[in-house]
Amino acid sequence: MRMVKKAKLLRLHFGEADQFNGKPLYEAIVDRCKVLRIAGATVFRGLEGYGGTAEIHRHHLIKKDQPIVVTIVDTEENLTRLIPEVEAMIDTGMIAMSDVEYIRIEKPPAGN
Amino acid sequence: MLQKGAAKKVTIFVNEDTQHHFGPLTDSILTYLLHKGVAGATATRAVAGFGAHRVMHTNKIEVLAEHLPIRIEFIESEEKVNELMPTLYEMVTDGVIEVQDTHVVKAANKDLPAEPRPPRAELKGTARLMRIFMGESDKWQGEPLYEAMVKRLRLMDIAGATVYRGILGYGVKGHTHKSGLLPFSRDLPVMISVVDTEDKLRPAIEAVESMMQDGVIVLSDVDVIRLVRSRLPSEVSNANG
Repeated sequence: MRMVKKAKLLRLHFGEADQFNGKPLYEAIVDRCKVLRIAGATVFRGLEGYGGTAEIHRHHLIKKDQPIVVTIVDTEENLTRLIPEVEAMIDTGMIAMSDVEYIRIEKPPAGN
Repeated sequence: MLQKGAAKKVTIFVNEDTQHHFGPLTDSILTYLLHKGVAGATATRAVAGFGAHRVMHTNKIEVLAEHLPIRIEFIESEEKVNELMPTLYEMVTDGVIEVQDTHVVKAANKDLPAEPRPPRAELKGTARLMRIFMGESDKWQGEPLYEAMVKRLRLMDIAGATVYRGILGYGVKGHTHKSGLLPFSRDLPVMISVVDTEDKLRPAIEAVESMMQDGVIVLSDVDVIRLVRSRLPSEVSNANG
């Protein structure tokens, strides 16, 4: 009945102002994930943070550069396909991977 | 203080005019329960009723209005009920005593803490982190799913849950979640992260699964470094004084 699968959780940390080919980096990464048929990706915006460049990322009147975390869950094989691609896209940032167990819930829309 | 979980509910039916030591039996029983430190007891006067005497007690006829039934109810732990029962058995010379199993869901008191909270020694070291992914517009019985889930987790005494709203995402529900130009009617990705011990999380996973139509649950092992609880007002005033 319930399927609990071993999977990997990938977290990409960078700034909201980061760009890739003229569009926000997080949008570019999500699009890339879709092309590579990764199960899912979610982008979260943090309130404040700092990272590799010792520069505090926070909301600013003219410069919007809050921290961004992209969370991706998929099998190890799929993520190994994805990692080199996103690595090339992120200028400064961090990639973290951890072991997780994965339960997909999909019920027919009829009953509740 | 009444604790959450299994308990006993005692119901005593007596006549309003039954006497005990020159006073109404109802008063004697309530005084006794108060003296014994019972969490709470309520006496209710009935509108009508009949008992072993086969006489209808009703307030429609003035003569019979003095004999109306009274129901006294209280909820206590099994040990406490066992302790009280011999005396109650002795006191109720005319009436019925009934005990039933019950389950205390909430015993709150605005002056005292809801229950003496143990310093959660068990939540230290290895614990489980559950991330639940869903859409913001998902509903459960008409209310937002993430709200319903947090309420349910709270009822289950789960150590903590936090709801995050993403700004972009895809995966569950098969479409891209993106905030539109209008601030309303959006369906952004939502994630709830929950931390507790493996034993506590297992029933929580079942509950979450039963509520969710379409989504993903991701579990991982984490180390809990410290769980800080805000101090009670009484403790704070002691610390200041």
